[in-house]
Amino acid sequence: MSGTYTCRWCRMSTDAPNLISCPTCGAPVDVRDRVSESGWYELPAIPDMARLQFGRSYCQIEGTYVPVADFNLSGEDGVYFTHHLLLWKDPAIAIAPMALRGGWSRLFAGLPLLMTQAYGQGHVAFSRDAPGELVPVPLQAGMSIDVREHIFMVATNQVRYDWFNTGVWFQTRDGDETETHYPLGMYMDRFSAPGAPGLLLLHAHGNAFIRQLAPGETLLVKPTALLFKDSTVQMHLHFEHPAGTWRSWRSWGERFVWLRLTGPGRVSVHSAYDKFEDPGNTLSGSSPATRWQWRG
Amino acid sequence: MDTGTRVECQWCRSQNSPDARSCYTCGAPLDVRNLVSDSGWREAPRLRDMTEIHFGGSTCQVEGEIVPVAEIALGAGDWVYFEHHVMLWKDESAAMSVMPLGGGIKRAFAGMPFIITVAQGPGRIAFSRDATGELVVLPLHPGVELDVREHAFLLASHSIGYSYVRIKGLKNILFGGQGMFMDRFVAGNEQGLLVLHGYGNVFERMLQPGESILLEPGAFLYKDATVTMQVETQRLSSGLFGGTGMNLAKMTGPGRIGIQSMYVHHHTDD
Repeated sequence: MSGTYTCRWCRMSTDAPNLISCPTCGAPVDVRDRVSESGWYELPAIPDMARLQFGRSYCQIEGTYVPVADFNLSGEDGVYFTHHLLLWKDPAIAIAPMALRGGWSRLFAGLPLLMTQAYGQGHVAFSRDAPGELVPVPLQAGMSIDVREHIFMVATNQVRYDWFNTGVWFQTRDGDETETHYPLGMYMDRFSAPGAPGLLLLHAHGNAFIRQLAPGETLLVKPTALLFKDSTVQMHLHFEHPAGTWRSWRSWGERFVWLRLTGPGRVSVHSAYDKFEDPGNTLSGSSPATRWQWRG
Repeated sequence: MDTGTRVECQWCRSQNSPDARSCYTCGAPLDVRNLVSDSGWREAPRLRDMTEIHFGGSTCQVEGEIVPVAEIALGAGDWVYFEHHVMLWKDESAAMSVMPLGGGIKRAFAGMPFIITVAQGPGRIAFSRDATGELVVLPLHPGVELDVREHAFLLASHSIGYSYVRIKGLKNILFGGQGMFMDRFVAGNEQGLLVLHGYGNVFERMLQPGESILLEPGAFLYKDATVTMQVETQRLSSGLFGGTGMNLAKMTGPGRIGIQSMYVHHHTDD
């Protein structure tokens, strides 16, 4: 291969000759795109032992069922991660906690209280204890993406980490009891590259798909299937009631809880998502949402 | 056959005929290059669907890829042993018995299987574990001693001796992720077959004398008996909230170690 190659997954361009996989995200260059008729682009399986370059260091992807991200740090670069994902490390690699704001809120929301940093010269490797795919998301300077909680694996030091309240919730009432539900989780992680490009690795349960939404274009997804989205994509709840189901004063009957995503920007989903338990009781409140009742 | 034309399996070091596509003894593809990371981990060979492996007068056929099945056609006089819950199906003709084990009460308290089951040929019997992963076929050459994480072994052939070793040190027992005991398999005067199941992908690395590596304890799968294991704790303080501790198993050579990428995470003292 000669000339400039632009990766169809991460959109990074490179002039490197004889490429087998994208040097930034690992997507193979010699396979045809797998795009569904509806427009979903399937993350191509990263070739075993592919290398992803960042700064003076690189990450090698090893395995296929439960892939391992094996970082070879040069000494000038570092990574941070949630500590339970560490698989192994050289003794020369040091680890230390990275302070996060909002400790109480994170604690109550079930988010990891601290991130861990790894630095030094040598190897450190990560994997998540579930079958799926590693999703490398190279961030160009100025880019920002929002990631559902517990999806993040590891990021390079150039990537800034923040988190925000999703603002997506609804309440149900059963007798005197009111319960608040967060179909997307109470918080989402936000990763941005303010100054220099960085690399972010996520773990998708099952297969990962991505799609570009045009300005104003909408899509309904299962809230727990969302993997990440560009920060420009807006989201709110949508309740859908199928025709022909029984309803009473204390129950809405059958109800589907959707997350409506509105472009512009990329959205990504994974195919093995958690089940969201909706008790089906009458709604007593929610964040901005729409409803639709199908008539039989 | 002229030994100069034979092909050596890079996984188990057995000699094979030059036209073989898979190793006669461990099933590793012979026409596929080794996948070795820059850090020195070698991926366990990905066995082709329906690959046949030979031991004694018996064969083992590997079926499937995501949750593979090991189907054993036992020859007359051959037998294999296993933990009973990994049995998938069997012919009626394959005779079943239990292996006498010492230290039953200790094993029961340690959460290890109280009995090991034996299937005797002739007949067919098949095994699988209920999780995504790989079969790791380890033909044990005479004299080799291998320590295996408890419940990770799928089956072993009759020529391999089975015992268990107590993990020394309270810290290693509490935070090492292996419990109190590890299975130990010893090949006597005859080569035997040991098949393990690793969650996710399995990698192996050879540690030189004195060389160390720090592992998530739940990732440990097997090691040569010469490799030592010692748990190290690292405190990760978050100030007001106290923080957490991270326990890592320090493995020191000489010898090989095997790890699994979908590990059993052991919570630390948050």
